Amino acid sequence: MTVEHGEAESAEPLIPLHCLRHAEPGPPRLTALPNGTPVWLATRHADVRQVLTDPRLDRASLYTPDAPPTSTGPNLLDDPEGLLNIDGPEHQRLRRTVQRAFTPRAIERWRPWVESVVEELIDGLEASGSPVDVIAGLTGSLPIAVISRLMDLDGVDHERLSYWSDHALSTSAYPAERVRQAMREFYAFSEQLIAQRRKNPGDDLVSSLLQAADVTEGVTEGQLVVLVCGLVVAGHETTMTSFGNALVQLLTESPAAWARIGADQENATAAAEQLLRAVPLGDTAEIPGLLRRAVADLEIGGVAISAGSVVAADVRTANHDPEVYPPSETLDHFAPLGTPSLTFGAGPHHCLGAWLARMELELGLHQLARRLPGLRLAEPVEGIAWRTGLLTRSPASLRVAW
Amino acid sequence: MSAAERELTVRVDGTRCVGTGACARTAPGDLELGPDGRARVLRPVSDDLPNLTEAAELCPVEAITVHSAATGELLAPRY
Repeated sequence: MTVEHGEAESAEPLIPLHCLRHAEPGPPRLTALPNGTPVWLATRHADVRQVLTDPRLDRASLYTPDAPPTSTGPNLLDDPEGLLNIDGPEHQRLRRTVQRAFTPRAIERWRPWVESVVEELIDGLEASGSPVDVIAGLTGSLPIAVISRLMDLDGVDHERLSYWSDHALSTSAYPAERVRQAMREFYAFSEQLIAQRRKNPGDDLVSSLLQAADVTEGVTEGQLVVLVCGLVVAGHETTMTSFGNALVQLLTESPAAWARIGADQENATAAAEQLLRAVPLGDTAEIPGLLRRAVADLEIGGVAISAGSVVAADVRTANHDPEVYPPSETLDHFAPLGTPSLTFGAGPHHCLGAWLARMELELGLHQLARRLPGLRLAEPVEGIAWRTGLLTRSPASLRVAW
Repeated sequence: MSAAERELTVRVDGTRCVGTGACARTAPGDLELGPDGRARVLRPVSDDLPNLTEAAELCPVEAITVHSAATGELLAPRY
């Protein structure tokens, strides 16, 4: 059955992401994807880390003709020409065309500008008056405004970008044919953008990646088209999801933390890191974790895994591994993390936009808590309408009051 | 500048390292991924400032620092 996200009606209200229970981490065990494909599931922090960093596990072989089916349906992440699905030196060459724009230093230069966007959006929330939907007004608008500026897409309708991003990461929210149609449009948009920036280069991310690709051997046109779409989607969907779900946690459970986040930017930075670790991006019904395929026999956490096996890295469980993160009754937002969380992955495919996402989240949380210290949910948490049928889950709208 | 003044030391923060391998591909003479999936330093001193600077700057978790062997001054990344 297909449901429109945000309009899904189910008998039981979905519980917020931060309330989901986590499996006990243990040795890799054999389970199956919803389509029946057997998959080894890694759940301990060390095992998940190994799955993501060990060169004997890769992404490209998930898409070879002999590979068992793993896709949830048409979506951008399963495009074999995508950066995520290329490995080794070829992956490194393609990634380098954009990596420089996402280093901590490069991202830091955007901080004053991102801060001003956050301030403007909060001005808008205040002008609308309490209560207001914070997703439409802030968490959904900020990431798309930021990535649009970086890629110089200011003339492009943000709603179209959102529509494409949404479909590109869907699982069951839309009929397959509608997803294919949206992705065709998205790719055509990307092709036109590439042609236009080749003709009239600027100092934006698309122009700079094209210039880098020009002097790099072996980067194909198809890879560039998917990469540009990937930048739009990745800069949009996941940050919006983290921000929305972080607000649900803070406003329902942690008023004291909210006050501290508003008092000091450094507190917000620490809290963003803990929230990114503790609140998962979505449910695991469709895909139990980040998938890889073994290209050689290997051992993970004492378990022998043979070449050709599909392996899933359950980041969500690993981020709660009591061996690494001491368990506590309530989340301590300000505890130093020690070991980095696996939220942005690890290994060669570690999230390119990690620093940008962190910056948006920490600035957004701090400014919102500073400007609206009395912020609270204006609806019961059971009444939240969720965006479902996508690879991530977050509130479709969240009415807040002050 | 004397040879000793050009000598560099590289450090990897093993807690931060997430094993992207970007450093090992950028400065293969000085860094490699160990069996634990974390970067490790191959030689006690180096003189390859251009590649090491790039490796330190490209590391997505800022796990790599390059110092002057003589003075300990931080040479990369410098933000």
